[in-house]
Amino acid sequence: MTIEHVTVEALIKIVILASGVLAGAAWLVLVERWMAAWIQMRRGPNRVGIPWTNIRLFGLGQPVADGLKFIFKEEFDPAHVSRGIYTLAPIIMLVAALGVFAVVPFGSMIPSLGHWMGTEPIDLMIAPGIDVGIIYVFALSSLAVYGVILGGWASNNKYSLLGGLRSSAQLIAYELPLGLGILGVVLATGSLRLDAIIHAQATTGWWFVFTQPLGFVVFVVAAFAEAGRLPFDLPECEQELVEGYHTEYSGMKLMLFLTAEFIHMMTASVLIAILFLGGWHVWGMTPPEQEIGWGEAILRVAVLFIKTFGVVLFFMLVRWTWPRFRYDQLMALGWKVMIPLGILNLVAVAVLGEISRDQYGMPWGSLVASWGLLMASWLAVAWVAPATTDNRPETTD
Amino acid sequence: MNLAILPVLLLVAFLLIVAIGLILLGRIFGPHRAGAVKEMPYESGMDPIHDARRRFDIRFHLVAIAFLVFDVELLFLYPWAVASKSPAGVDQAVVSGLVVGRELVFAGVLFFILLLVLGLIYDWRKGLFRWR
Repeated sequence: MTIEHVTVEALIKIVILASGVLAGAAWLVLVERWMAAWIQMRRGPNRVGIPWTNIRLFGLGQPVADGLKFIFKEEFDPAHVSRGIYTLAPIIMLVAALGVFAVVPFGSMIPSLGHWMGTEPIDLMIAPGIDVGIIYVFALSSLAVYGVILGGWASNNKYSLLGGLRSSAQLIAYELPLGLGILGVVLATGSLRLDAIIHAQATTGWWFVFTQPLGFVVFVVAAFAEAGRLPFDLPECEQELVEGYHTEYSGMKLMLFLTAEFIHMMTASVLIAILFLGGWHVWGMTPPEQEIGWGEAILRVAVLFIKTFGVVLFFMLVRWTWPRFRYDQLMALGWKVMIPLGILNLVAVAVLGEISRDQYGMPWGSLVASWGLLMASWLAVAWVAPATTDNRPETTD
Repeated sequence: MNLAILPVLLLVAFLLIVAIGLILLGRIFGPHRAGAVKEMPYESGMDPIHDARRRFDIRFHLVAIAFLVFDVELLFLYPWAVASKSPAGVDQAVVSGLVVGRELVFAGVLFFILLLVLGLIYDWRKGLFRWR
């Protein structure tokens, strides 16, 4: 592989991926609005179709109209902001949100396209040579904290500053359970590469959601918080903080913030699908053989996309059915429940892995043990902090 | 130059161009109308009393420090997590005599996690996670 090969291949993948993710975000917003309309028993966006005709196309033209509107709205910097940082914050957010996809495999591979690209099958991943995959994802997604805190600080607005502070405290608090959830998966795989993690699940046939249910719960809750989605959308908090750290933003910069947030949700969905739901693997449909033809390649891509879309729909369903947490509840859940549970899961996975090291796959004993652990920790949390009607912030501890 | 990192650099450069280009697009095509009220910080219609950048709760700082400690401790666990399963990891080190035994590595890691738990309990007892 020469430098030209790598550059051309990477650029083609980058353009396809970036336009795909951005367009996907635009139309998934439409899906989310349909979902909202369905839950609230109203019609939702169903008007915009092809311009100058009466063809409505169920509102499928809505994202295009929204995008055009953002371009033609005023791009306004108020006088009281710090101009440099104020402009930098949304750029950081978008680059960090989309940059994560460099190591995310979309499906697994496609056969070689021709003699110029060589005879090797092509990885459906922008940077297939990066071995630290999941750490890279982790590093870039934590850069989002900088976008939030810089945006909040530079806006020089009380709502924005409070929103930025709250949001950064939330993001860093939930990054620990996120990392603990991932550690269990890494421990069971022995690799940081996302495609290796999928392959480990495909060869044994045991998705990590079955073998590490507690880790799955911790990871999903942390992913909700990291994506800033309800019930963890305290950074935004329309009613209290007027959209928090992007109160003062308008026009294209606001769109970059909103898009980046939506992409965070898509990233979280892809990661949940890859780390815990087996990626492109379905029993009997997509066997993990090395040699793959076009049919197999397309099937794997389709399976991964369907799983990801399912998780995205779950995110949206939760958004429209759950109320928002209060801030002390949020911090208590993060530090006092999720981090201890994450450590518990890590130790359990490590000990079970050490005991049953010589066996291939998942023995039934450890399976029962890990599900028992989930039930036990659920009961323990319910016993220590039972649901009460009086849930005012505790004054003594 | 290592070619593995090149696609990542290309992606970041591409995204920077896209982000800055989008902002410029808005600058070019959008209207520009300034006004005294428009220049004020938005505070639900009230006139802002002072600058927004004042002192804030120390707890945010404490939580950030606690996060730093725990995050770095977690990062130390990643090499072990990879090495304990990967064939070129702990098992290979035992074969080539670098460590005495697999059990010793495992005990060391458990002790490390115990330290992490003790730190968490200390912070908890100090009331770091109590917000009201």
